Amino acid sequence: MLKMTHLSKVYRTEVVETYALRDFNINVNEGEFVAVTGPSGSGKTTFLTIAGLLETFTGGQYHLDGVEVSNLNDNERSRIRNEKIGFIFQAFNLIPDLNVFDNVEVPLRYRGMKAPERKQRIMDALERVGLASRAKHYPAELSGGQQQRVAIARALAGSPRLLLADEPTGNLDTQMARGVMELLEEIHREGATIVMVTHDPELAARAQRNVHIIDGQVVDLAEDPRFHHAVHAARANSPA
Amino acid sequence: MLHIKPILVALKRHKAGTILIAMQIALTLAIVCNALFIIDQRLDRIARPTGLDESNLVIIRNRWVGVTDEATGPLIHGDVQALRQLPGVQDAISINSYPLAGGGWSTGVRVNVDDKKSKAHTTLYFSDEHMLPTMGARLIAGRNFTPDEVTDAKANAVDTPAVIIITKALAHDLFPDGSALGKSVYVSDTKKPSTIVGIVERMQVPWNSSWADAWAENAVFQPYVLMYSGNVLLIRTKPGQQDAVMKSAPEMLFKLNRMRVFPKENGVRTFANQRESIYKRDRGMAILMGVVCLVLLGITAAGIVGLTSFWVGQRRKQIGVRRALGATKRDILSYFLTENLLIGTVGVLIGALMAIGMNLWLVTQFEMARLSLAYVAIGVVALLLLGQGAVLAPAMRASRVQPVEATRSV
Ligand SMILES: Nc1ncnc2c1ncn2[C@@H]1O[C@H](COP(=O)(O)OP(=O)(O)O)[C@@H](O)[C@H]1O
Ligand SMILES: [Mg+2]
Repeated sequence: MLKMTHLSKVYRTEVVETYALRDFNINVNEGEFVAVTGPSGSGKTTFLTIAGLLETFTGGQYHLDGVEVSNLNDNERSRIRNEKIGFIFQAFNLIPDLNVFDNVEVPLRYRGMKAPERKQRIMDALERVGLASRAKHYPAELSGGQQQRVAIARALAGSPRLLLADEPTGNLDTQMARGVMELLEEIHREGATIVMVTHDPELAARAQRNVHIIDGQVVDLAEDPRFHHAVHAARANSPA
Repeated sequence: MLHIKPILVALKRHKAGTILIAMQIALTLAIVCNALFIIDQRLDRIARPTGLDESNLVIIRNRWVGVTDEATGPLIHGDVQALRQLPGVQDAISINSYPLAGGGWSTGVRVNVDDKKSKAHTTLYFSDEHMLPTMGARLIAGRNFTPDEVTDAKANAVDTPAVIIITKALAHDLFPDGSALGKSVYVSDTKKPSTIVGIVERMQVPWNSSWADAWAENAVFQPYVLMYSGNVLLIRTKPGQQDAVMKSAPEMLFKLNRMRVFPKENGVRTFANQRESIYKRDRGMAILMGVVCLVLLGITAAGIVGLTSFWVGQRRKQIGVRRALGATKRDILSYFLTENLLIGTVGVLIGALMAIGMNLWLVTQFEMARLSLAYVAIGVVALLLLGQGAVLAPAMRASRVQPVEATRSV
């Protein structure tokens, strides 16, 4: 589904060149649930933005669904984002001027979907996340957990095959985080591929696979005993 | 057009800015429509033909000093005779006034002796049989005066002449069926009829203000030489001799008689000078209105650029999110263009009503003409285009916001 080989991303400013990713290799299969962990500044978000075609990369290759993405133009990238990928951000990123219903509708409109189908999908997605009754509310009227569930509904409504989540629970308390996680697991069971960045070892442990990033590179978890232990401890504790 | 509803919904959350811009557009439209209308009317007014052959025409305002009106008769005849002899002069007359002079005679004309009300309003031009050729008036029916029809007349007791010549416009007002030539009419409150012996294609009244608009080309020519100490000498020069005659004529007149002055400022001038000075206010008004329009349009455009730039800055994150969710650059561009079009449409709708209202007020207050709806239509289109033009730069900037901005915190 998602394959990066020798990928690099360099941020150049006037004074420094930062290698956010270097010789980055990863392969995520269709239907996998991958948790990405790593210290702050290690390049997790950079990886996710490149994976989600939000950003270009400097070197190497990235195949998404078998397509080499560096050959795509801006419009094609937009279309793939719209049709294949669902995003969930740490900061929810709902549009404050629009109510819940209209927020979930945004990607569907960009797909040119007809109104009845849009409505059907929006209500389905909102029901999924348990917020159908809040359709007319504005984001500011909702709790953080509710907002993130709206964001998930927005990502879900377009039935994406790949769901990218950047610390989706980072701004939520434990209970809300658990709710969001359960939702993601449910979505995964229905067949979506999920790549989730998280700081929370407990959540990471619930994914099928863990990928650890340090200094812009994927490292073998076995080489980082501290994290290894943390994950195992979490796995042992988790109710699963 | 796909996205009108969510744009409207979002605008509801930005009421202040939206209303401000819509009202600015409305007000600009209202003022610009009326201003353009006034400009166009002024320009039309300026462009009106006088009926004179305006080139090679020199005007001398003569003021006899220490001579009574009654005593001016021979002096005026002497002046005119001498002028007609002057090298470079083709013809010359003494006349009471002329088109665009700014002041002159006006009166009513009745068709029947017993009529209580006059049938038409008109100005009066008094001079001899040289009047039509000197003015360059075109006779389209009948004949000119003969020398024996011309008499002297006291300025304060003008009689009624047996024959008159009138303009086509007046002829039409008096006899709409076109039968004016040969008919008798009654000029002013006289009981003596005057027979129309000639019809002139066109001759404007001396006034250029709107009160005379309804009868701007109604003129009666009467075969009188007015004995008047404030007469006007109208000189038709030979082609190319205008400047020479402007110098030689006053010199010669002074030599003939020193008991006169030519007012310093406008005593001797060409008709072109006269036209220029009489329309100075109209032209000034048109320019002022034009400047006001440009300034207003500029301010409105700047307001739109400013507000949209502010909104784009404010919504960078949300634009990034939209891009991340699949919006193309064109989607973002069209979002802001559509948003502006919606605000603009509300603005021009209100503005169109305000434009018409403002005109109705001007109509009642200043006797302005009714605003033609074409101006409103043109103004509406112009302001919508102005809005789209003004919004283009900030909207392009918005479309260049990278999708990755969605992930950057604040
Ligand atoms: N737009 C940018 N310009 C310059 N440097 C950046 C930019 N975005 C990220 N970086 C740098 O790239 C590195 C990786 O960042 P990021 O992917 O956000 O890390 P993480 O999400 O793991 O905390 C950091 O050193 C960060 O400072
Ligand atoms: Mg990050």
